[in-house]
Amino acid sequence: MIEIDVRLPLAPFTLQVRSSLSANVTALVGRSGSGKTSLIESIAGLRRAQGRVAIDDVTLLDSDRGIDLPPERRSIGYVPQDAALFPHLRVAENIRFGGSDRERFDALVEALELAPLLDRVPASLSGGERQRVALARALMTQPRLLLLDEPLASIDQPLRERILLYLRRVRDLGIPMIYVTHQPFEALALSSWCVVLRDGRVAAEGASRVVLANPEVAGNIENVFEVSQPVHDPARGITRVTTSDGLALVLPYDQVAEARFPLVVRISADDIVVFGERPVLISSRNVFEGTVTSLTSNDGIVDLTISTPAPLSVRITRAAAEDLAIANGSRVWLALRSRAFRIVG
Amino acid sequence: MPHILLFTITIAAISTVVIAPAALALAAWSWRAGTKGLVVDAIAALPLVLPPTAVGFVMLEILSRRSPVGALLQRIGVEILFTPKAVVLACGVMSFPLMFTAFRVAIETSDRRYFDVARTLGASPVRAFLRVTLPLAWRGLLSGLLLAFCRALGEFGATILIAGNIPGRTQTLALAIYDRVQNGSDGEAAVLVLYVVLIAWVFVAISSVLIAQQRRRFAA
Repeated sequence: MIEIDVRLPLAPFTLQVRSSLSANVTALVGRSGSGKTSLIESIAGLRRAQGRVAIDDVTLLDSDRGIDLPPERRSIGYVPQDAALFPHLRVAENIRFGGSDRERFDALVEALELAPLLDRVPASLSGGERQRVALARALMTQPRLLLLDEPLASIDQPLRERILLYLRRVRDLGIPMIYVTHQPFEALALSSWCVVLRDGRVAAEGASRVVLANPEVAGNIENVFEVSQPVHDPARGITRVTTSDGLALVLPYDQVAEARFPLVVRISADDIVVFGERPVLISSRNVFEGTVTSLTSNDGIVDLTISTPAPLSVRITRAAAEDLAIANGSRVWLALRSRAFRIVG
Repeated sequence: MPHILLFTITIAAISTVVIAPAALALAAWSWRAGTKGLVVDAIAALPLVLPPTAVGFVMLEILSRRSPVGALLQRIGVEILFTPKAVVLACGVMSFPLMFTAFRVAIETSDRRYFDVARTLGASPVRAFLRVTLPLAWRGLLSGLLLAFCRALGEFGATILIAGNIPGRTQTLALAIYDRVQNGSDGEAAVLVLYVVLIAWVFVAISSVLIAQQRRRFAA
């Protein structure tokens, strides 16, 4: 359990955040300048905030009791946006800066596939390689919490895929993570809990799938799936996969042939077609039957949540909803074009 | 003449080495202290803006037997005034502001995030500074050392007040030039000037190259 109640005056506003986080991975979502980085720097002890920060039974900051542990005594791993590898140290020395435990070093080098990089200098690494090294360096300290500041920002698609793969491995180690991003679908790819910041305050908080299904928070609504168990059928141009919710999906073979699984894919709520009855002879490879479980209507746009049984967010026009006579509890069929899926990584 | 040359270089080197740890510690403290460090910055820079003879006069007063410090030094048998130690002292005091300012700039321009990240990795402020900030600022630090060394080579005003101008004992190149000109030996003075120009030029050139490299690195 991570308890946060911090106040920190910033130039345009005062950061004021109060939250209790118990999820393994929490996404901190918000636009640029909403206070995300300042918040995680306050948690790491790099900014002198007022208030209280505690992880499980350990109090890191309690202004009322005069407790303010310095960063080196907080045991919090921090990976800044640009990784901030020490330029004068080789990769192996960078990693060992976090600790000298030989076994842990070997395990991290293996898990994050760093062996070929150990003798290199940071300037010669790609963005994705730097992130992996910074991740290993932070994990060498055996942190009680890992803070990641936009680890996928400015990393191109093939590398994002790999970084997400490694982040999922880290997630599976059981170290709690707070993951900063301004991309809602990235948040969905990793986190189960989500805190949305706006102008230094919590604008929304809750289960990621619920919070990020809110168009006001997410802008474009995306359906994000972690898929695995690929069965490639190159002759027919498709790859069959299964989502973590047990949904069977068909993806275009050419886009995932080289991908590493598990893979995170997304499809916009705008790209899903709704049918009032079972469609026949249709090109979409993904057709699901489901029930409308929620319906919100605003400015001629209707946002639906449809249980298939995995919940899918769908956005249609009010005209379409009226023609199909859609209401809560309506039975509908959804068509998801394979080529409308985008690879998150 | 070779003796004067060797003596001057030795004195400048000793004074540079002696003040370096203090200048580094003060620059590091001032960097961490933020605005509180500004007062210290101003005090440390004082010898740079005062006439060297004024600084020499203050040191002379402090070290004279009439003052408590001078009396104490005499009691414990330490003789400073008009000895080579006084030359080192004058050179050290007069070159300190240059070294401190160069160190301060070198540390300030090194990216603070590296220091911060080192601390999240368990390093104390001192360890983070020594293992991360310092190695990243080395070019700026080295140029500070060279600047201070060159300043010490040419130190005159404070030196002549507290060390005198004793040939073979406290006479440095700068004092020797003054001496030769006073005696009308302009030829010898010119040779000495040539020496001092050559030495200073070599070190200033090294310093400029290092500063330019540091600037390019940060611009990149």
